[in-house]
Amino acid sequence: MPEGRCGRGRRAAWGRPAGLASLVLALCACSPERPAPWRLVLPAAAAAQPEAAGDPRAGAQAIQRYGCGACHAIPGVPGAHGAVGPPLAGLASRQVIAGRLPNTPDNLARWIEHPQAIAPGNVMPELGVSAADAQDIAAYLATLR
Amino acid sequence: MSAPRRGRAPNAAGWRRTVPGRLLAGGAGVAVLARCTGGPSALDPHGVRAVQIAADWWGMAIAAAAIWAGVMSLLALALLPRQRGVDQWALAEDYRETPRGGLALVVAGGIVMPVIVLGVLAFVGSRALAAQVTPASPTAFEVDVTGHQFWWEVHYPSQQITTANEIHVPVGQSVQLTLHGADVIHSFWVPQLMGKMDLIPGQTNTTWLRADAPGVYRGQCAEYCGLQHAHMAFLVIADPPDQFAAWAAAQAQPASQPTDPALQDGAQVFARQGCIGCHAIRYGAGDTGGKIGPDLTHLASRGTIAAGTLDNTRGNLGGWIMNSQALKPGNLMPPMPMDGPSLQALLTYLESLK
Amino acid sequence: MATVAERPARVATDERLTYLWETRPGLLGKLGTVDHKEIGRRYIVTAFAFFLLAGLEALAMRVQLAFPENTFLSPQVYNSFFTMHGTTMVFLFATPIQSGIANYVLPLLMGSRDMAFPRLNQFSYWVYLLAGLFMHAGFLLGQVPSGGWFNYVPLTGPIYSPGPGIDFWALGLIFLAFSTTAGAINFIVSTFKLRAPGMTLSRMPLFLWNMTVMSFMVVFALPALTAANVLLELDRKFGAHFYDPAGGGSVLLWQHLFWIFGHPDVYIIFLPAIGMVSTIIPVFVRRPIIGYTGIVLATVATGVIGFGVWVHHMFATGLAPLSQAFFGIASLMITIPTAVQIFAWLATIWHGRPVWKTPFLYVLAFFVDFIIGGVSGVMFGVVPFDWQVTDTYFVVAHFHYVLIGGAVFPVFAGLHYWFPKITGRLLNDRAGWLEFALVFGGFNLTFFPMHITGLLGMPRRYYTYPPNMGWDLLNLVETIGAFILALGVLVFVLNVLYSLRQGEPAGDNPWHASTLEWQTTSPPPPYNFRSIPTVHSRDPGWELQRADETTRYGSETFSTARETIGTSLHDAEPEELWAMPQDSGWPLLLALALAATFVGALSDWWWLVVLGLPGGLVAVVGWLWPTRMKVIAL
Repeated sequence: MPEGRCGRGRRAAWGRPAGLASLVLALCACSPERPAPWRLVLPAAAAAQPEAAGDPRAGAQAIQRYGCGACHAIPGVPGAHGAVGPPLAGLASRQVIAGRLPNTPDNLARWIEHPQAIAPGNVMPELGVSAADAQDIAAYLATLR
Repeated sequence: MSAPRRGRAPNAAGWRRTVPGRLLAGGAGVAVLARCTGGPSALDPHGVRAVQIAADWWGMAIAAAAIWAGVMSLLALALLPRQRGVDQWALAEDYRETPRGGLALVVAGGIVMPVIVLGVLAFVGSRALAAQVTPASPTAFEVDVTGHQFWWEVHYPSQQITTANEIHVPVGQSVQLTLHGADVIHSFWVPQLMGKMDLIPGQTNTTWLRADAPGVYRGQCAEYCGLQHAHMAFLVIADPPDQFAAWAAAQAQPASQPTDPALQDGAQVFARQGCIGCHAIRYGAGDTGGKIGPDLTHLASRGTIAAGTLDNTRGNLGGWIMNSQALKPGNLMPPMPMDGPSLQALLTYLESLK
Repeated sequence: MATVAERPARVATDERLTYLWETRPGLLGKLGTVDHKEIGRRYIVTAFAFFLLAGLEALAMRVQLAFPENTFLSPQVYNSFFTMHGTTMVFLFATPIQSGIANYVLPLLMGSRDMAFPRLNQFSYWVYLLAGLFMHAGFLLGQVPSGGWFNYVPLTGPIYSPGPGIDFWALGLIFLAFSTTAGAINFIVSTFKLRAPGMTLSRMPLFLWNMTVMSFMVVFALPALTAANVLLELDRKFGAHFYDPAGGGSVLLWQHLFWIFGHPDVYIIFLPAIGMVSTIIPVFVRRPIIGYTGIVLATVATGVIGFGVWVHHMFATGLAPLSQAFFGIASLMITIPTAVQIFAWLATIWHGRPVWKTPFLYVLAFFVDFIIGGVSGVMFGVVPFDWQVTDTYFVVAHFHYVLIGGAVFPVFAGLHYWFPKITGRLLNDRAGWLEFALVFGGFNLTFFPMHITGLLGMPRRYYTYPPNMGWDLLNLVETIGAFILALGVLVFVLNVLYSLRQGEPAGDNPWHASTLEWQTTSPPPPYNFRSIPTVHSRDPGWELQRADETTRYGSETFSTARETIGTSLHDAEPEELWAMPQDSGWPLLLALALAATFVGALSDWWWLVVLGLPGGLVAVVGWLWPTRMKVIAL
């Protein structure tokens, strides 16, 4: 079951008025290790998504390392509020990625690894993402419902 | 008004009541300090100036804690119940007289003790000030820093080096800092190496630092300077002297004209998109470009971009160039959107500027 | 009035005095009352409203800082909030609420029927209210000042802060200075001339001493701030270059002028508060204060030395080391008078017997937390240490400990203490303990960790911070503490609202206190005292009633007109009768004319400025026009 995210992820999706509520939730989920409480009551919805092979926690760290957040607003990643490419909130609920690929973990990892190969001349650069890192990142993005 | 409560033992927990609050905050504090996270902490000094200040801090902290604890103990003792079974509103015994002991306490605690403690502190402080003002060893060279909204312009006049947001120094050698403010007041602060000094328009401030251990030390702007005061950091990197010399030699070189067609594409994008209007990439004497933003001649040699806001990676650089306002709203660089091939070429070119 | 003369003398006196001193019903009375008690109440309520507003701004900032790289507040909004939080707390809450309490209490404490200049008193309040609204009007236009509460140039000059935001701040403060200065003059003259007969300077309650010293400090310090703001507005509106080095001006000029005001200002905030501490401790340890003379001398010394330490706010600006050394040592020395006072209070508690009521709890909290603020403040006198911690959360911790510990806690003690006198009802003491626990615990949880985050490198005025600097957990803890503190304030507000209607009736003197305000009813009648008392000691309420007391002033003889007794400065011997004014609308009109002038200056509507000045002149003429005094026959 994909690991839940701590309070920070959900807060960005709620928007501003949620500051106080997020505070209360942060009290019980302040480090990335603990799954956020609301995730625990939705196992059925989680199971609908095919298992991702990578590690979402490592994926979140890889996202920061490669600087994906400089172009994309990504919930749960500090400082990730770029506005060059599309925001990635809710990515896991979308059918199509990159405007042409079905949204599967493998396709997502391929896209992250070689965007110029899949869509030559598009703005998303080749960042030299390793295959393992790409899978981890895809696994993290798969949690963004 | 209800009848006065008789014989109720006054709750001396006025003092105890404070202890849980103290323990919580103090315990958290000790835990944090003990971890010594490696952040830009004044309590993790690696330069002679910061080491002196940290030592003085611990002395003062212990003395302060002792004085506070002493006064609290006196207060607690003063609050202990002495007369029992008395109507709570009855006046104290001997309320008409001024007890000798009372005045003695005022003189001892209010005059004698502070004069001694403050006298020591005045002596310690004056000595510390004198030590901090004069460089511990003769300064090896000068680093000239100008504060802008929201980045740091750096020159090494004697080594012909121009860079931004990053300063390299040789370990164990004192370096003079000459500080200017270009627009508003900023403040140069590297907690692990030295206390802060302001960069003030219209005046030149001079100070010095010495790093005594190799490492990367984070500096931050410490005088509110506008919207992105919070994102105006810089790095001070202390290298062993030979490594420093290599760095300085490389930085003193101008950029080489690109011969690889891929890099030439990128250089053309740099000019075509207008970057050259604000940023300089120096190819040789007299060849400059704009001076409004940081010099980019050796951009790829730097660890961060956007004044310490982002690590210097291709992804971050791409996002910064395309839409810096989303990452650092209110910074003075406008968004520079461009098509995919131009961006890729520009990024490749910028990555070559080591 | 033959009918009146036939009634028993006491009733006749009460009726006469009520007729002479009560506020007229209707609009003229509401707007034009000169009763210091009504004006004091308005000050307290208005100041507390600003306190709540500034507190909400603080809570919003704490939510933003609870997590690194948070996006709850944009940088623009955050920067406006820290500016307005500081500005509102210092200028629109800390001094005015103490002026309000003093306004209510001082004439009663000194056995007088009102302040020396009742219409000026009313004027002070209206200007305060209008200036406070003026400074917040920027919120309605999206042009909120965001230069920080001390508004350094060049950031706040015309180039880097275009638009009217900063003008709301600077012009608003010039406007507010009329109120503060008028209030200070009123306190000084009242204290010098209206004390009850026999209340010599050395029998004067310490609160009066503190308010007098504070008022002198206001008169001398505020012009520096006004000058700074006038020069800034000349730069911003008329192209002057006082603060522009390129035009021959000086950036540091602003800092000098501001802090020449700003440092005395912290004592302006602190001295009335410790005046309340000196008032409340004797009552709740059931004995007179020990070290009265020492406390008075210490207060005056603080007031004087307070003008000689301002450069310690500028140690990082690159001034000459010798000058930094001088001001560093002076800043250390100013601690000594305060230490004298602390030990005088300690000695009083030691030789007394505590009564555990809420006002006393807040006094104890003052001891605990003000001393922490004091010892951390002393460290800044070691200049190199200042270089590390100034402009960081360490200094934020320090000044909140001295301001909240040293001023807000005494103010809360004072509010709990004088609430029964003002309203006639007691606050619920159980709720007071709960409120105290939340406020005290929440305050320390919020601000103590800031000492640590500052030392760990976190600068102040950062709208966000990067993760993994060692600041994350502490910031979250601070935010939790802030909400606990807010909860305590909420309990206080609810207690007040409840007790206003349902509180236990207080009687004249629920605390069995010694000072004169408790020797009349709760609340006092419009004329304060039926007879102006003669005072024979520092604690008149604790002296046995003197059977042979015949010299009570003001019963038959002085109840024919609205007047009170003026006494000599040193020995408070009766000198003359002071005629006191009736309710008047002129002070409000003058305040409105001034407001129009400032609105015009802000908006560059110079026609309004030109109109406002003669309008003000008309109001002044109306104010000073001689009126016939209303006299009733005995």
